[in-house]
Amino acid sequence: MADVTLKGMTKSFGKGGAKRAVDGIDLHIADGEFVVLLGPTGAGKTTTLRLIAGIETPDAGTVSIGGRPMAGLAPASRDVAFVFQQYSLYPHLTVYENLAFPLRSPARRMDAATIDARVREVAKMVRIDHKLESRSTRLSGGEMQRVAIGRALVRRPSIYLMDEPLSSLDAKLRGELRLELKRIQKDLGATLLYVTHDQIEAMTMADRIGILAEGRLVQIGTPREIYADPANLHVAARLGQPHINLLPAGLLPGVEMPPGTKTIGARTEHIAIAREEGGNARIDWIEHLGDQNHLHIKLGEQKLVTLADPDMAVAPGDPISLSLKNPLYFGRDGQRLV
Amino acid sequence: MTTSPNSYADKAAEVAARATPERLVVRVRALSDRAIAWLFIAPTIVLLLAINIFPLFWAIYLSFTNFRANRPNAEVKHVGLDNYTRVLNDPDIWVSMQTTAHFVFWTILLQTLIGFALAYLIDRKFRGHAFWTTLILIPMMLSPAVVGNFWRFLYEPQIGLFAYAVSFLTGIPTSEIQMLGSVNLAPWAIIIVDTWMWTPYVMLICLAGLRSIPDYIYEAAEVDRASNWRQFWSITVPMALPFIMLAVLFRGIENFKMFDMVNLLTGGGPGSTTEVASITLKRDAFEAWATGRSSAFAIVLFVAVFGLANIYVKALNRVKQR
Ligand SMILES: Nc1ncnc2c1ncn2[C@@H]1O[C@H](COP(=O)(O)OP(=O)(O)OP(=O)(O)O)[C@@H](O)[C@H]1O
Ligand SMILES: [Mg+2]
Repeated sequence: MADVTLKGMTKSFGKGGAKRAVDGIDLHIADGEFVVLLGPTGAGKTTTLRLIAGIETPDAGTVSIGGRPMAGLAPASRDVAFVFQQYSLYPHLTVYENLAFPLRSPARRMDAATIDARVREVAKMVRIDHKLESRSTRLSGGEMQRVAIGRALVRRPSIYLMDEPLSSLDAKLRGELRLELKRIQKDLGATLLYVTHDQIEAMTMADRIGILAEGRLVQIGTPREIYADPANLHVAARLGQPHINLLPAGLLPGVEMPPGTKTIGARTEHIAIAREEGGNARIDWIEHLGDQNHLHIKLGEQKLVTLADPDMAVAPGDPISLSLKNPLYFGRDGQRLV
Repeated sequence: MTTSPNSYADKAAEVAARATPERLVVRVRALSDRAIAWLFIAPTIVLLLAINIFPLFWAIYLSFTNFRANRPNAEVKHVGLDNYTRVLNDPDIWVSMQTTAHFVFWTILLQTLIGFALAYLIDRKFRGHAFWTTLILIPMMLSPAVVGNFWRFLYEPQIGLFAYAVSFLTGIPTSEIQMLGSVNLAPWAIIIVDTWMWTPYVMLICLAGLRSIPDYIYEAAEVDRASNWRQFWSITVPMALPFIMLAVLFRGIENFKMFDMVNLLTGGGPGSTTEVASITLKRDAFEAWATGRSSAFAIVLFVAVFGLANIYVKALNRVKQR
């Protein structure tokens, strides 16, 4: 395992570099650290991983792995393992052969018994041991994805790069494999860079989360920091379920705000509500999710969503009083104000 | 009424419906979908029956008779399996079969190797690869008659470019480079021309196979530290194999029946060194006028090609399903 450093990483596509996919990313991933890149579609997450693996060459900037500069090195010489977004299994091979493929590299000089043991162990980890003899084209999307994860895990590379590895799994299996992956990563002390859309994956697995937007690394920090202390509106909007409520400043009279505030961000924990005749807001409707309820609230013309206990005694139409406790303040340019 | 694109189509259909004569409407409506389908393919089926199926059955019938096409008025006698026993016991026919096998083997081997190698190079997508692809495809687009004729000129020992080039490079005098006249060289002369003409075809099919392998598989292999050599043998070849086998099938069937080029270049000579099965067949049918016996030979050839092709297609399907 090793640490990874990106400096000023930039990559454009299209005629004359019209489309900036990755724009000056600086990132240090410590040895044994689990970093998650979170960002909307097209933010440049895949491209960042491909640049580190050496599948793409950067227009500017450098990658070094374990202190060694990687410029000009082919993927094979970089010692990375990659779980591709579109699985990239070898279609003419069985699951077993797919898993064994990286170990069969002559450079590794691994004997057949060791390979066999490793393949079976990993197959069990990713829950695909019952399909070892199936051809990889005969698998479901989720099974292919597990083989793809397994094919990375059989190796002990400097860094694991995983591109949305759990996206095709059902919720239950995703939850299980999330824990499993985190456990494996801890046991091995592996350095892992992980890309996802899913904030729960990001929050639960990451040592640090990096938020990408339009090719730029907007903020990086521990899940707690990113959640509680977002640098700007974009970051604040990426985390939290239900989404953060963005209210125009001055909607609620009598709230103390830093000068220059344009927008107030209020998550569930920033909102206090109570049933009250003649209150300043009312319940619009209620979504029942089972373990909790989403309350849709109307405050004048402004709509808000917040969480509530399923047994809170309110019904649509009920008047309530609503107040904010320590919400987040954002200025005209979307940056956070403290 | 709204003016969505759909309503224009509806209107057009309405106009067309009104313009159709009432009697025709009734008659067309009375036809089921199935009947209409048959109506559309009927011309093709009639043509197929007339120029393919009928002659086949006619030839099968003739193969059991002593019919001679140059004596149409002579009495036609049924001779049972006589023609077949004679064909299968004729040493000349076995020699021509062997010549055919030799020809098929070498042309397929050379065309597959060179065709695949060219496809592999073209697939590197170097600068100008589209231009080179077009250039390579030209021989395939020429008529075999044209190709036969100009290779006859190229092979001329006195004035031909081929003899000159070989003699220039090796020092062998041109008079000894009798490509079409020498017993040893004539089979190779034909193999060279067929390879020159049809390698592009094999290349095209192999190229389709190579293009069907997605880039990301190579990227994965690259990350998995597979060398180029290993990528070639464990990804490129197995994934392109069904295509290569298809090319071999097409060329095999085609060359089993090879006639025009051999006929133009050597006419089966010198002696009978390049007398492939179809040349023997033609001599039997149109020089000896043994129509019955040559029909029997044609049927034997047909069964042989058909049988071999079927076995081969089974193998091909097995490879595809792996
Ligand atoms: N090979 C390429 N050629 C042209 N444009 C590309 C190429 N690869 C990526 N891009 C562009 O770069 C941008 C970033 O792409 P990237 O695949 O990194 O996004 P992503 O964050 O992985 O998105 P997703 O979550 O949908 O996978 C996109 O706008 C994409 O269109
Ligand atoms: Mg992506």
